[in-house]
Amino acid sequence: MSAVPQRTPAAAGVYGAPPAARSPMGEAWRMFLRNRAAVAGLVLMVGIVLMTLVGPLLYPVDPFGMVWAPFTPPLETEYVLGTDYLGRDVLAGIVHGGTATLAVGASAAVISIVLGVLIGAFAGYYGGWVDATLMRVTEFFQVLPPLLLAMVLITLFQPTLTTIAATIGLASWTGVARLARAEFMRLNQQEFVRAARALSASNARIMLRVILPNALPPLIVMAAMNTGVAILFEAGLSFLGLGDPTTMSWGFMIGASREYILDAWWPVTLPGIAIFLTVLAVSLIGDGLNDAFNPKLRER
Amino acid sequence: MFREFTKLLCGAAVATVIVAGAALAEPTRGGSIVWPVASAPRHFNSAVQSGIATAMPAAQIFASPLRFDADWKPQPYLAEKWEMAPDGLSVTLTLVDGAKFHDGKPVTSEDVAFSVMAVKENHPFKSMLEPVTGVDTPDPRTAIVRLAHPHPAILLAMSPALMPILPKHVYGDGQDLKSHPANLKPVGSGPFKFEEYREGEYITLVRNDDFFIKDRPYLDRIVMRIIPDGPNRTIAMERHEGHVMPFEERIRDINRMKRQDGLVVTDQGYAGIGPINWLAFNLERPPFDNKKVRQAIGYAIDKEFVTKALMEGVGVRALGPIAPGSPFSPKDVEPYKLDLDKANRLLDEAGFPRKADGTRFTMNVDYIPGFALLKTMAEYMKPQLAKVGIKAEPRPSPDFPTWASRVSNHDFDATMDVVFNWGDPVIGVHRTYLSSNIRKGVIWSNTQSYSNPRVDELLAAAGKEQDEAKRKALYDEFQKIVVDDAPILFIAVSPYHTVFDKRLANLPTTIWGTASPLDETYWAQKP
Amino acid sequence: MTSIARAVLYRTAHVLGLLLAVLVFNFLLIHLAPGDPAQVIAGDMGGATPEVLAEIRTRFGLDLPLHEQLLAYLGRVLTGDLGYSFYFDRPVTALIGQRILPTLILVLSALVLAVVVGTVLGVISARWPRSWFSHALTVLSLAGYSAPVFWTGILLLILFASVWPLFPVTGMYSGIGDRTGISYLIDVAHHLVLPAFTLAIVYIAQYSRLSRAAMLDVLGSDYIRTARAKGLGEGKVIFKHALRNAILPVITMAGLQFSNLFAGAVLVETVFGWPGMGRLAFESILRRDAPTILGILFFSALVVIVANQLTDLFYRLADPRIAGKGSR
Repeated sequence: MSAVPQRTPAAAGVYGAPPAARSPMGEAWRMFLRNRAAVAGLVLMVGIVLMTLVGPLLYPVDPFGMVWAPFTPPLETEYVLGTDYLGRDVLAGIVHGGTATLAVGASAAVISIVLGVLIGAFAGYYGGWVDATLMRVTEFFQVLPPLLLAMVLITLFQPTLTTIAATIGLASWTGVARLARAEFMRLNQQEFVRAARALSASNARIMLRVILPNALPPLIVMAAMNTGVAILFEAGLSFLGLGDPTTMSWGFMIGASREYILDAWWPVTLPGIAIFLTVLAVSLIGDGLNDAFNPKLRER
Repeated sequence: MFREFTKLLCGAAVATVIVAGAALAEPTRGGSIVWPVASAPRHFNSAVQSGIATAMPAAQIFASPLRFDADWKPQPYLAEKWEMAPDGLSVTLTLVDGAKFHDGKPVTSEDVAFSVMAVKENHPFKSMLEPVTGVDTPDPRTAIVRLAHPHPAILLAMSPALMPILPKHVYGDGQDLKSHPANLKPVGSGPFKFEEYREGEYITLVRNDDFFIKDRPYLDRIVMRIIPDGPNRTIAMERHEGHVMPFEERIRDINRMKRQDGLVVTDQGYAGIGPINWLAFNLERPPFDNKKVRQAIGYAIDKEFVTKALMEGVGVRALGPIAPGSPFSPKDVEPYKLDLDKANRLLDEAGFPRKADGTRFTMNVDYIPGFALLKTMAEYMKPQLAKVGIKAEPRPSPDFPTWASRVSNHDFDATMDVVFNWGDPVIGVHRTYLSSNIRKGVIWSNTQSYSNPRVDELLAAAGKEQDEAKRKALYDEFQKIVVDDAPILFIAVSPYHTVFDKRLANLPTTIWGTASPLDETYWAQKP
Repeated sequence: MTSIARAVLYRTAHVLGLLLAVLVFNFLLIHLAPGDPAQVIAGDMGGATPEVLAEIRTRFGLDLPLHEQLLAYLGRVLTGDLGYSFYFDRPVTALIGQRILPTLILVLSALVLAVVVGTVLGVISARWPRSWFSHALTVLSLAGYSAPVFWTGILLLILFASVWPLFPVTGMYSGIGDRTGISYLIDVAHHLVLPAFTLAIVYIAQYSRLSRAAMLDVLGSDYIRTARAKGLGEGKVIFKHALRNAILPVITMAGLQFSNLFAGAVLVETVFGWPGMGRLAFESILRRDAPTILGILFFSALVVIVANQLTDLFYRLADPRIAGKGSR
């Protein structure tokens, strides 16, 4: 193991409170709502999610269909965001393309969190050879460049939304595992865990019911950050043409229209703004959560 | 066209300077040009590989017996004299004195004999030298090409892009020419010597100081930079980081460059090329072995939309295998008028009813990378063919060799391709349809595996027919059959343009354009 | 054995273990992928005739039991044979060898740029935490973090190569002129600016936040208060005492993120036509040229491992307190 101490999104060592007391989650939520940037992020995110869920119903234009003359600029016809080089509606692409991006982003983040917490929890809780082994595995995945690993896996196992999500998850769980391990290790030494053990609670119970709730705050922050990373990943893969070819996605739009950027900026710029805003929303939420869980940091 | 050649068959022609539109001042020596190209060549041996990616550098590296001017007239090159026998059964070439290969060895009739036979045996255009039975070499400067029967296209086949004279002492060592190591380290006798090829980056050619035409070439160096992204090529030209950009078909960028002061845009230099964009099927693979399926796709494609909208109105519809502009090109009657009902009906009849999800079958559509129009058309198939229940997915290739390997090994469903007529149908057209030219591994052979005995007969007859009217009748029947059989759906003529730096003079705007040597090009004004 | 020797030995074993794991993983990938492994190795080159497939089978011993194949594979790697690209008809090492230097140039310049610019921005903003600069930096760093790198790359390229033509548009050399000497280096540097900056943006954003936070931590500590109390000038306090503490977390993070940086290079190289390993990876993926891709995966893992070790070393030199804690 390297001697480099792990920096986590929430500088470790501040969540020491035993579970009873006042609900720390409720407290954090109040803190979060007082953070203007974070609330803006949340509102933005809700808007984007609504757009991708309801949008396709309200705007049922086929994103692959050729609806108008190619290269129609925005605001000139009923297709307000213009059309691309094939005459495909850019707005339809943005509305429908978000579904794939968000679905992949969210499920990849869930996969990375579940995998990371499982591995980190066992390593941190049991220590010893379990820890040593699991940390070797983590380290192994850490030296493989994630996008490259995802590209390789997708090539070998066909690009469908499921494999893409699984692949991105598999390529980005190591940070979570390290964080979870550190938290479990620290909490394992705490009074309340020893107390639970003294009451002969099972290991599974201690991990799941006693430690995990207390380890949640930094993991939630990490989940938010990972969602942003996963969205950027998905966009990058479909930009390269390695996305699911049957679904429209923002990255694909950028990659496909790049050839015509000198004359038509909109099919490249607009989906890019969509990705940008989505990741920005996620980052703002993540930041807000981080601050909310770490009142000490907020004064900065 | 045949008559045009016969008029010129006797006697030596006087060398004429091919003038490119720009200044006529005294040419000056020196300087380099950067030549942006979209895709990398597989290698540089144009005796075994066709296509412009190879032809452009190969025409600089290798000299050929003849070259052509803008009026289809043959001009002396390695051969200072050529003479067609009265019976049309032989051509006698007299080589220039003192021509040397880049390694210093002299060019002799032995090399010509070797090269002619190498092209005959290996080139994908099988019908191009089909009638050649052998080459006699009575002395080092005389080569007599023997023909089994009169061959209207023999002189055109001696052009730079089609008949590179290879040094026998390098390529004649018995190794397979298609994978000869010297294909990547070529030795020729042309105006420029091969210097370096960095895969995915650039090809550099340097001046051949021993070139057999005195004082030429004028340029010291040609750098062909491989720039796969269209906008990056355009920007490079606009910023004068690139100086010659031929075979450009991205209409919006062409129009943009036309408005630039420092650039000249021309559509000259493609007369011999005769480029057609088409969709070719792999007839070995079901369901494309079924004529009705192919015809249905023909009826489903909206040719009007392609030429008007996708090609910004400059598209010219290609109605058959022979490109417009040729005396043999088909009559102006649309054979596959857009008709989705008919397409649906044909597909039902062919035994591919719509499944529960509304689709009939899935197919891949390949396309040559670096050709924006081909990519656009391949992508166009997806929404368009969806209308008749076919799921068409474009399959990208990273570079030309990848695409070439897939298609030439018959590993494809259908591909968007751009194929050239190369002046005379015998050279550029027959190869695609002759059943004897189904040759795995050779790109731009009959990769469709199309086979129709009547077509074989018609082409054999047309190839040696000396009467132009009779020849046209043969080609008419041939085209009618091919259009109906639909191994290929012909779509449009490629709107090729060359963009060059205004300060350059004497760009080749002959029938072969930049697929012929740039030995006369020079900087009229130093960059 | 001295403790240093033991540490070196331990470290070497550790690195070799990791590399071995990457190799085994590579090996398993080919065999886990659906379909005939011979076909996977041959790739989508179209020319996979039965003869070629048979040759691959004998060459890789695909009919042998799995563990024997693995041993044979590891043996080949030991002799420097990373595999053979049937697509290019060339050994994988030769292909990668041509591309590794451009990628290292790109990635290292981006890294240095990110660390230096990120730290400087963070330090300035920590010095005046309530200034407009500090707020602007917070906003900008969020923005820089959220924009997809390939998209920023395209926009920067249009902006700075076409609209305002300050930098060359593509590739690594202009093609004309010597390929040696100072003018060549300047040419490459000129081509490097846009791609390196594009790749660095995300990390500049992250590192400025990181160093700002660390700097604020340090500036509030007793240790700095003492320094100030001793009457040291503010510049001296910041640069002599605080900066070292601010840069450490940045270096740590940079080391940990090296593999991310490497992955980002795939996208940046594709946008800017940079002739590196990332573009080769992308092209090989489209060709399904598995030996080349796996070779690249192994090579990048190797580079990342080396980078991690160097970070560690740097970290020890910068902060001697850690050295005593041993290698765990």
